[in-house]
Amino acid sequence: MSNPSRALHLVAVALLLTPVACTTTTDPKPPRDTTSATQVTGPLCAALPTGTDPGNPSFLADQPVDQALRWIPTLTTFEAALRTSGALTDLPTGTDVTILAPSDDAFAATFSEDNWDDLMTRHTDQLRTLLKAHLITGTHTIDDLVTAGTTATLDGTTVTVTRTGPTARLADRADAVCADYRATNARIHIINAVLGALPKTAGDTDERAH
Amino acid sequence: MRHQRPLAIAVATLLTLTLTTAPTPANAQSAAAPNQVTNLTIRQADGYATLAWQPVDGATDYQIERTAVDATGTPTGAPTIVGIWRPNRQINQQAPTFADAGFNPGDTFQWRVRARAGTTEQPYSDPVVATTTAPWGNPDTPGEQLRTQWETAHAAQYTSDTDEYAYTAAIDALSDRVRVVELGRTVQNRPINMLVIGYPTPATTPEAVAATAPVAINCNVHGNEPGDREACLIMARQLAFSTDPRITDLLSHTTVLIVPTINGDGRANNTRGNSTGQDLNRDYSLIRQPETAAYIKMVRDYRPVAGYDGHEFGNSRAGDLPMLPPRHQNVAQPIFDQSQDMIEGHMYTKGAEAGWWACPYGCEGGGNVGLSEETILRNTLGLKNVANSLLELRSSGGQTRPDEGNTANNRRRKTYSALWTFHQFLDYHRADRNDILTSRAESIEIQAANTGRLVFRGSRPIPAHPAPHPGDSPPPLDAPRADLILDNAPCAYKLTDEQYNGARTDGPGGVGTTVAQRIAAHGWQVIKTNDGWYVPLNQPERGLIPLLLDTQGVEKLTDGERVYPTLTGRRNGPLTVTGFTCAADATINGPVTVQPGAALVATATTISGPVSANRAAGVVLADSTVNGPLQITTTNAISIIDVTIAGPASLTGNTTGTTAALLAGNTIRGPLNCTANSTAPTNLGVANTVHGPRTNQCAAL
Ligand SMILES: [Zn+2]
Repeated sequence: MSNPSRALHLVAVALLLTPVACTTTTDPKPPRDTTSATQVTGPLCAALPTGTDPGNPSFLADQPVDQALRWIPTLTTFEAALRTSGALTDLPTGTDVTILAPSDDAFAATFSEDNWDDLMTRHTDQLRTLLKAHLITGTHTIDDLVTAGTTATLDGTTVTVTRTGPTARLADRADAVCADYRATNARIHIINAVLGALPKTAGDTDERAH
Repeated sequence: MRHQRPLAIAVATLLTLTLTTAPTPANAQSAAAPNQVTNLTIRQADGYATLAWQPVDGATDYQIERTAVDATGTPTGAPTIVGIWRPNRQINQQAPTFADAGFNPGDTFQWRVRARAGTTEQPYSDPVVATTTAPWGNPDTPGEQLRTQWETAHAAQYTSDTDEYAYTAAIDALSDRVRVVELGRTVQNRPINMLVIGYPTPATTPEAVAATAPVAINCNVHGNEPGDREACLIMARQLAFSTDPRITDLLSHTTVLIVPTINGDGRANNTRGNSTGQDLNRDYSLIRQPETAAYIKMVRDYRPVAGYDGHEFGNSRAGDLPMLPPRHQNVAQPIFDQSQDMIEGHMYTKGAEAGWWACPYGCEGGGNVGLSEETILRNTLGLKNVANSLLELRSSGGQTRPDEGNTANNRRRKTYSALWTFHQFLDYHRADRNDILTSRAESIEIQAANTGRLVFRGSRPIPAHPAPHPGDSPPPLDAPRADLILDNAPCAYKLTDEQYNGARTDGPGGVGTTVAQRIAAHGWQVIKTNDGWYVPLNQPERGLIPLLLDTQGVEKLTDGERVYPTLTGRRNGPLTVTGFTCAADATINGPVTVQPGAALVATATTISGPVSANRAAGVVLADSTVNGPLQITTTNAISIIDVTIAGPASLTGNTTGTTAALLAGNTIRGPLNCTANSTAPTNLGVANTVHGPRTNQCAAL
């Protein structure tokens, strides 16, 4: 999925999603819970469960974080990796956590399939470190993170967070594409690039063999 | 139809239809603005809507616009371009169709279509408002009311392992047509289930199912490609409960075998490979893993005659549904041709009706994919004489679809296009059942004749479709390299006991099954003499055997010793066979007696006198003539394929173990009697012509 122009790819997403976003704002029957607590923001949000769809942000707000992650369609790679790595269950029970969750497209643009399977099945330590690069203790809104300017992820890295137009940019490489999901003791921000120190292994062609 | 593309006829028919059904009366035409699309029609199906319209002269392509509307037709969302139609999407470009999917089934929409000349947009058609088809099954009818987790979650979640087991168990419990069987277990001990579906009930044993010319769908080998699996689960419910005469007719003429999740561990972890990191679609010949071994044993026991193997694709530039036949050059030509007919003859034609863009895998900017590895199920099945195709569900984005990533809408586009394909697969089998069985029988006889070169790696070409090709380029040529061709095929491979029974380390946790176990899983005949184990090539999977046992095999199991014929040309007088004797292109004038412990393997050979074997190691004959009786008793390995036998034939008291004696495609000008064999002989679904009575264990052969 690594097109020659990743940027163009994302612009296309945004363009296509913008009209859909209008659907939610003009919906004559908004979902029962419209408190700011369940307001998610970003160009990807409209393509994720909205309104009263199963897995909508209001529903997820009452869910344990591991369950909430299973409802967000574009996080299948991250969700499975988090489970496999044990990075979340390693935390003391009740720890508040903020999750910077790379989308499936982000993982596909970063790791070759062979490399990813190797990490998932043979290198749990590396995988755990990679996942910790996406976890922050405490529940932080994306605005809080921008205001602070930097944040520390559980792998010990300091990540810069800056405002870029309507969204936030992390570590100078990832944009928040749908931020401020709530779950029990947690915030989830979907980002469009993988953080951490592992090298890119995805090829320049988006072919993958059957 | 099998050996020729029905293309010309199909196009002609469609042209006629276009001319006769296009209303376009003069007054209607004048009411339309210049270059406005007219006669937009929408046909609803499971999870998608087929748009069709009158083409506009000079149009480069067309944009399809969809708008969510409420029950009164009032828009509830902004109009969105959900697709582009362009000529290379379909083979009959004069009658454009577009399958729009990627919406919640049951919702109501308004569609419009407009042409573009270059980049210049022309006026939109008049709008058409329609309600899409809700998920299949009456919510108030037991059975029909079942839904998968994926459906209930509006595609936000895939169906979990436990939900799959519960769902398929409920189908099994509520439908007489369905039996769920466990084929094996994954490395992490998840069940590998298969739905066996027939009407009014599925045949009770694998052998009885095999007699119905079954079709097999492998839904999910790569754990991170689950789109086909959801289609399989929905189709299982339709097949189990539908009262549509089409469905009951289909199920009356075959048995549908659906394996939803061969790679349950990979699915649970969303990895491509299994829990050991092994890509299972690089293991179907080697069968190092329990998952692939389970599938290959299923193929041996249930003998599907046609198959599909479901995947998802990362190439956003390709068509909707990339497909590919078994291309390995050792696949018998009739199976390759039949598979191509299924893809290009049927799927391209039906895709042009439904609006789905089937195209060859590897088409747009093909890359080095879709090649000849026999480890890939597509090729493994072809080498096992199963007409089949790969199916890819395209990724998001590209030239004719919106870029929606791994969202619910794109998941629906993938799954409902797979559902369309699998239904078409069943229709193809129903329509071309006799051709499929004929090509299979021919291929088994071609392979058993053991003629022609062997190729270790290398593909048959997939020529560009002349329509033109519904894709911009054909898959890579992938011709065999000179050092991967063996012109002089051996008669057999000889393995030492260590090679055959020795411990192996190539399985999960460093423990592999033996070569003996893997050969048994493939179902090959093996002859044990006192100096080793012989695997003759004159049997139905001739093209696969060298890939695993020859020293030149690219991904082989062991380095078998090539054994060449010891008896060729004319030989007069009685022949007493001792040891391992291989006859090829021979004429033996006289009776042949196979001594205890000895073996006779023969191809293209004529034997005048009677052939008798008692307590022999094996008798394996193909493409030969016996101008006298054939009597085999108390022998261990027996395969008689495409042999003309003048006298009576009898198989008595043979001890062939779990590998049944094969009697397939023979002509016997006398009675055929099989008595007291440890396993009843089989004909692999390739009937024998027997002039006399058939009795006892061979009564149905
Ligand atoms: Zn695949």
